[in-house]
Amino acid sequence: MLKFLNRDRLSYAVFFIAIAIIGLSVENYYYVQLLTFIGINTILALGLNMLMGYAGQISLGHAAFYGLGAYTTAVLTVHYGFSPWLALPCAILLSMLVAFLVGLPTLKLSGYYLGMGTLGFGMIVHIVFREWSSMTGGSSGFIGIPPLEIGPVSFSQIRNFFYLVWLTVLISFIVSKRLIHSRIGRALRAIHDSENAARAMGINTRNMKLEIFVFSAGLSALAGFFYAHLVSFISPGTFSFIVSIKIVTMVVIGGMASVWGSLLGASLLTMLPEWLHAFSEFEMVVYGLILMLVMVLLPQGLTRGLLDIYERTRSKKDQP
Amino acid sequence: MNEPDRKKTSHKPLLTLNSIAKAFGGVQALWNISFDLKEGMVQALIGPNGAGKTTLFNLITGIFTPDSGEILFDGRPIGGKKVYDLVQVGIARTFQNVELFGSMTALENVMVGQHVRTRCGFWSAVTRTPWMVKEETASRKKALKIMAFVGIDHLANRRSSELSFGWQRLLEIARALSSSPRLLLLDEPAAGLNTVETRQLGTLLKKIQAQGITLLLVEHDMGLIMDISNRIVVLDQGEKIAEGTPREVQSNEAVMSAYLGRSEH
Repeated sequence: MLKFLNRDRLSYAVFFIAIAIIGLSVENYYYVQLLTFIGINTILALGLNMLMGYAGQISLGHAAFYGLGAYTTAVLTVHYGFSPWLALPCAILLSMLVAFLVGLPTLKLSGYYLGMGTLGFGMIVHIVFREWSSMTGGSSGFIGIPPLEIGPVSFSQIRNFFYLVWLTVLISFIVSKRLIHSRIGRALRAIHDSENAARAMGINTRNMKLEIFVFSAGLSALAGFFYAHLVSFISPGTFSFIVSIKIVTMVVIGGMASVWGSLLGASLLTMLPEWLHAFSEFEMVVYGLILMLVMVLLPQGLTRGLLDIYERTRSKKDQP
Repeated sequence: MNEPDRKKTSHKPLLTLNSIAKAFGGVQALWNISFDLKEGMVQALIGPNGAGKTTLFNLITGIFTPDSGEILFDGRPIGGKKVYDLVQVGIARTFQNVELFGSMTALENVMVGQHVRTRCGFWSAVTRTPWMVKEETASRKKALKIMAFVGIDHLANRRSSELSFGWQRLLEIARALSSSPRLLLLDEPAAGLNTVETRQLGTLLKKIQAQGITLLLVEHDMGLIMDISNRIVVLDQGEKIAEGTPREVQSNEAVMSAYLGRSEH
C-alpha cells in the first residue's frame, strides 16, 4: 500500500513538472489554447470515467451537465452580475442537484435502458438551452461571458488559463484516485463487476450509484464553467447529443476505469480533428478509421493496451 | 462421524422460520415451511431439484419476500428487509455460481466484504483523515487474517478472475466471513469441487463453526452433508418432509422415497 501511494505521488509530481515545463516552453498561442481544451475535456472524461469505468453505469447525456455548468455561470455572471467565483459553486451545485433528481428514477435502470434514459435527459436539457431564449440566448448562443481573474492575475491571458485548468485537472486526479482507492471505490468497482454480489455484501447499490452520478455531474459542470469563461461564447450545439457521445468515446478510447486513460482519450479526441484538417473532406472518414483501429487493436483502450505492449516487450527481453 | 445435537439444548434459535409460503404465479414454490436453526449449528438443506431450496435461500437472504409466515433472526422479524440491510444484521452468503468481483484482487474482494463494518464515506475518502487511514489499514489487516484462516493469503494480490475455481470458492467464503456474520449461508459450496477439495472444504466449514458462526447450507454432496451437519432439513416439492440428525434423516422412509431412493437406483 505504502509503495503504491508513493508511486501515485511520484506520478503527480511528474505531472506537475510536465505542466510547468509545457506552460513555460510552448510559445504558440494556438497550441496553448489547444492544450487548455484538452485539459477541460480531460475533466469531462474523468467525470464520466468515474461513473462508467468504475461503477459501470453508462450515461449518454453527460453533455447536459457540461452545459448546465456553462449556462449557469453565463446566466449568473451576465444577467445577475455575479462574480464568476461565486457562480462556480452555484453551477456545480445546480448540476449536482439536477443529477440527483434525474438519477433517482433513472439509476434504477441498467444497461441499454439506463443509456436510453440518460440520452432522453440530455436531449431535453439541450432543447431547454435552445428554446429558453430570454435566458440562454437561444440557438444563436450566449455572448459576452466575462473572463476569469483573481486580483491582478487575469485569465484572459491564455497561458494563465492553461495553468488554472491543468492544476484543476491535477487536483481532480488526486481526488478521483483517492476515491478509487478507498472503501467507496471498492464498492463502486464491486457494483461494476456484479451488482448482485455487491448487494449481498451489504452495499446499498442504489445510493452508491446515485452518489457517483452526482459526483460525476459536478466534475462535468466544472469543465463547463471553464469552457464558458475561456471561450466567452456558448451555444446549444456545444452541449448536444453528439458531444455526449464524444465524451463516452474519450472514456472508451482512453481506457475504462483508468484515471490516466481519461487524459489520453481526451488528448487524442481533441487533437485528432486538428491534425486531420489536412485531409479536408476526408477528415471524418480518417477520424472514424483511427477510432476503429484503436478499438480493434487495443480493445481495452489506450492505457491498458499500451501497458500490455510495454509489459510484453519487457518480458520478452527478460527471457534469455 | 460427529455427535449431532449434543449441545442442542444449550443453544437458542438464531433463525426461525414460521410457516413460510411463497408462490410464483400459479406455482406454489414453498408451502408451510417451519424450522429453527440453533446458534452454532451446521444445518443442511437438502432435497431433489425443484424442491424449493434456492427459493428458501433467497427468502432468508432478502431477495424475495415471503407471501405469508415470518422469518425471525435472533428473535427479530427480517421478512421484507433489503438484502444489504441483512448483511448489517449479520447474515452473509455465498453463491452457487461463485460471484466474485473479477476485476479486483483477492484482497480487495475480501475488503469489500467489510463494507458494512467500516464507515469511510465520499468525503473522508477524499480528505484522507487520520481515522480513515487507520480504518483502511485495520480493514486490510483483518482481510489478510481471514484469508490466512481460509488458507488463501498467498493469493492476496492476484486478480480474483485469474484464480482457479477451487480458490475462487474459498475466496468467496473469505469474503462472506469478512462481514463478521453470525449466520453464513452457503449455496452448494461443494459444486464443481473434486473429492480432495470437498474434504478440505468440510474441514474449513468445521473450523468456521468452531468460531461460533452458524451455518446453513444447500448441498447435493451427501458425503459432505453427513460429515459436517448437525441437523438436516429435507424439502420435497415445496414442503418440508423431514428434519433431524443425519442418522435420523438417513433412515427416514419419506426421505428415502423422495430423495435418496430416487437418486440411488
